[in-house]
This record gives sequence, structure tokens and C-alpha cells, in this order.
Amino acid sequence: MKPIERRAFLTRGSMAVAAAGVVTAVPGLASGLVAVEQDAPEAESLAAEAAAAGETLTMDEPIVAHVRDLATGEIGLFSGTREIVFRDPSLAARLFRATR
Amino acid sequence: MSSHREAPEISKDPVADSTDLYAFTSYGNPANVTIIANYVPLQAPDGGPNFYEFGDDVLYEIKIDNNGDGQADVTYQFTFATQVTNPNTFLYNTGPILSLTDQNWNRRQTFTVVRVDDKGKQTLGTNLACPPCNIGPLSTPNYESLVTSAIHDLPNGGSVFAGQRAEGFYVDLGAIFDLGILRPFQQLHTTFGLQNTGLGAMAAGVNSTKGVNVHSIAIEVPKTDVSKGGAAPTDASSPASVIGVWTTASRQKARVLKAGGTDVASGPYVQVSRLGNPLVNEVVVPMAKKDYWNSQEPANDKQFTPAVLNPELAQLLPVLYPGVFPNLEAYNKGTPKRDDLVAIFHTGLPAGVVAGFQNSMGTVQADMLRLNLAVPVTKQGASNLGLIGKDPAGFPNGRRVFDDVTTIELRALAGATLPLVDPSFTPDAAAGQITPGLTTGPTDTTAMGTENYLLGFPYLGTPYSGFAVPAA
Repeated sequence: MKPIERRAFLTRGSMAVAAAGVVTAVPGLASGLVAVEQDAPEAESLAAEAAAAGETLTMDEPIVAHVRDLATGEIGLFSGTREIVFRDPSLAARLFRATR
Repeated sequence: MSSHREAPEISKDPVADSTDLYAFTSYGNPANVTIIANYVPLQAPDGGPNFYEFGDDVLYEIKIDNNGDGQADVTYQFTFATQVTNPNTFLYNTGPILSLTDQNWNRRQTFTVVRVDDKGKQTLGTNLACPPCNIGPLSTPNYESLVTSAIHDLPNGGSVFAGQRAEGFYVDLGAIFDLGILRPFQQLHTTFGLQNTGLGAMAAGVNSTKGVNVHSIAIEVPKTDVSKGGAAPTDASSPASVIGVWTTASRQKARVLKAGGTDVASGPYVQVSRLGNPLVNEVVVPMAKKDYWNSQEPANDKQFTPAVLNPELAQLLPVLYPGVFPNLEAYNKGTPKRDDLVAIFHTGLPAGVVAGFQNSMGTVQADMLRLNLAVPVTKQGASNLGLIGKDPAGFPNGRRVFDDVTTIELRALAGATLPLVDPSFTPDAAAGQITPGLTTGPTDTTAMGTENYLLGFPYLGTPYSGFAVPAA
């Protein structure tokens, strides 16, 4: 599997999803999961990068996030027919706190 | 039932619930194979105003293994889309439906067929029309003509159809699920000591599925489209002439219900229903593993072998019918090792077990409907008992629409096939007679006139109309 181009992924996501910190997501995960634990930049910096590149972040299909494990920060992102798994304990904690 | 509502979770999801799977050499074209996968069980024909349909959010697949590893080498994928002509009426149709483009037909489905193999995907057809459900003499006055229009040619040869048909599986549900009553033998049932049960003299079976409909996905393709290496299968003794077939239904992993009555689905598809051999998940796999079984690939089926080697129903028969199965009862008290059932369900029958026949691709244990493509169609004297009726063109060599799989499997479970692998075992006389009593005998291919199979594609009969067959 080859890593997806970050910029290409971001163009498919919204600002809110960019905040999820998917940086080196992996495509073609229809039959399996791949945990990709990478840096999790803040939404603002991702948005700034996109703006600097002249990109418009639009969401043309729903994205669903599943916080699988609060301790490890494992989050599954469902988009189209893909599932992207990554770890971001900080984001998982923030999402959890948002539900309290 | 064969696989209708056979597991707790899928019983709550009818549009994804596989009910029966058939695979056989096409009667009129021995170069082709026909595979039929049925879904949406037990349809009351008058179930309007929202009549039955496939799930737009379900991925239906027919999978074929041609090298014996229990994994798909060729897959046919089917996806559906629903169109509403007039959203401002509650009616399924606002007048007679005289064609598949009739504007009176308010809610219709189309489908796409994709073939997948190791070379990639090939779209075989898009925007293919399904027929409407059979409503009645005013709504669908020329139903057969609508069906004819809904049989689509495939670019590689063959045909495809997706839509409502008459249920072809016959079974006495009311009896078998009342603690294993077989009406023709009910006077021999233990009745658990209950008195005045009404179970007196022997009685004829009752076809519980007579008068209900189902949704079929039927595809007929050249055998060379599915055989190993694309070779024409001519040698019945060769494992390369055998294919294993199963069907699955899958849903996307996440579904979000939105305000306003809509929803969105996202994520990869997850298998929620599977069917290869009839009745296996129904009566062999224990309750706690049925939903799990539905999620698995055939290649992983060795994990279910213990339930096949010592099936619960084989243990129950001597208990429910005391004194009728003494040899089976004695065998059960040892260490049952039903390798005959493992062969039927999990590996196919290797050469040498049944004279002149085999349908095995190897030793990988995988629940698939195995069909030896080189076995010719039985044109005269076909037996609904298939191989145990000395008709090698029938179950468990694939499955034809008229095969009496319930009787075949009951007899096998009762020990009739055990001598194939254990010559020291003598089957009880009842093992060769046991039946739910829904046919007049092995040559009855209509289940006592309760089934109206066709002699050609799509083989299952015209669905019952809601007007003619209202729910009881």
C-alpha cells in the first residue's frame, strides 16, 4: 500500500476533519485496518497550509469518526468505502470531553 | 429454513438475509452455469403499499472459488438503486404497469453487475431494470412479459435477472421447529410425555413456504468464465472441473440516522450474511456462533468443524424418536466423527467415496456449494434426492431448484451417508426413509404441485400475486 498524498486527502475533507490529524492516511483499506500513528497537527495549521496552497477544503461525502480506544487514542475514520485508522490521544481526549 | 432468518442478527435485516443458493449446469445450455442467490425471505405477496425490494445500501455478491482455497477467484457484485417516479403519491403504482418504463410504476429499482477477478473489475451491466413485484390483475396484468423484459443479456454471453420470484424452497417449518416433528413420523415422536398433543397417526407434510415470494439474483454465465484457468470443464474426474459457490451480503460499517428520516452510510463493506450449503448455519452451527459464521470467509471454516463432526441434530434424532434410530444412537454414544458430513459440507466428496463421482478441489475445509461442472444435466429421471438418489447432477453436487435438500440432509444427518466413510456402520432403516413428507417420491420435482419451477432462466416460478394469494 502506498501512502496517500496528504494534500489530496485534505481536499476531500472538511476543516473539522482536518482537525482529526490524518496526515499520512492509507488508502485501499476496504478489507482491513491500518493504524497510522503520526503527528497530529492542529486544525489551524492544516487549514493554513491548505490556504497557502490555494486549496478549498470541501466535503463531498460524509465522514464518520469512531473513537475506538481513549487510552491509545485510536480513531477510525469512515469515508466513502474506506476506513482509516490513526492514533491521536489528544484528539480522542478532546472528543471525549466534548461528550461530557 | 434453508437459510431464511437463520441467525439472530440477520433475521432483523431481511433485505440482506440470504435465503437460498442454487448452482447447476443450465438445463438448455450445458456450456453455461446458472447461479441463483435469494434474499428477502418470506414475502407475503400482498405486502403493500411498500412492496419488497433489494437494499440500495447492501452489496450483494456471488463468489466462486475454482482452486480449492476457500477464497473467491471470481466475484459477481450486484448493487441496486431505487427511483421514485412521483413522490407525491403513496401508491406503488398509479395504474397498470405494462412495461418496465411505464410511468404508472412509481417505485422501481435498477441494478449494476460487476465481475471481479485477479485481473480487475469489469462492469457487465448498469442501469439494468428489475421487474415490479407481482401485485395483481390490475397492477401487473402481464407479469410474465415484464419478467421477460427484465432478463438482460451479458456481454460475455449468458443472462442476468434480479427481482421477485416465487419461493422455491419447500419445507415444513411449523412441524420441524416444533421440537423436530416430522409429520409422516409424528406418531413415533417422544412428545416429551405430553398427552393430547394431536400428534396421532402419520400425516402429510405441509409446505410452509407455499404462497410466499422471495427476491432472486440469477446469473447465467459461460462455465469458462468461472472455471479454473478459464478451461472448458469436460473431465468429471478432475478437480479442475469443480467450483465452490457462495453468496454474501455486506453493509457499510457506519450508518448515521439523520433528522428528517434520512441516513448516510460510510466506510468499508462488512459481511453480514453468507450462504453456501443449505441449512448449515441454520441447524449445524450453534446459536452463539451463527452471527459470527455469517461474518466469516469459507477459508476460515475449519473452526466450525466440531459442529459438523458431531452435529446436534444427529444427537437429537434418537432422542426425539425413541427406538427408531438404534444404530445412530449407539454410534452417538461413542465419539462421533462424521467425516461424511465434513465431505458434504466442507471439502466436497473426493474420488472413490461415491463410485464415478467427485466434487472436491482439495482438503481445505470451506462451506461452499461445490459443483462439478463436467457432470451433465440429468434430463430423464432426475431425482430430487440428488446424489443419494443416484442423480449426480443434484445436491450436494451444486443444487437445483427442485432438490429436496431438507430430506437429503436429514437422511445424511440420520446416518445414511456415514457408511461412505465408515463401512462398519449400518444405517438404521429409518435413515433412508426420513422425510418431512413434501414430495410424493424422488421423481417429484414439484413438491406435490406446490412449486411451479420453470425449465429455463430464471428457473424459479412466477411470484404469487398479492391479489391471488393474500396473507393468511
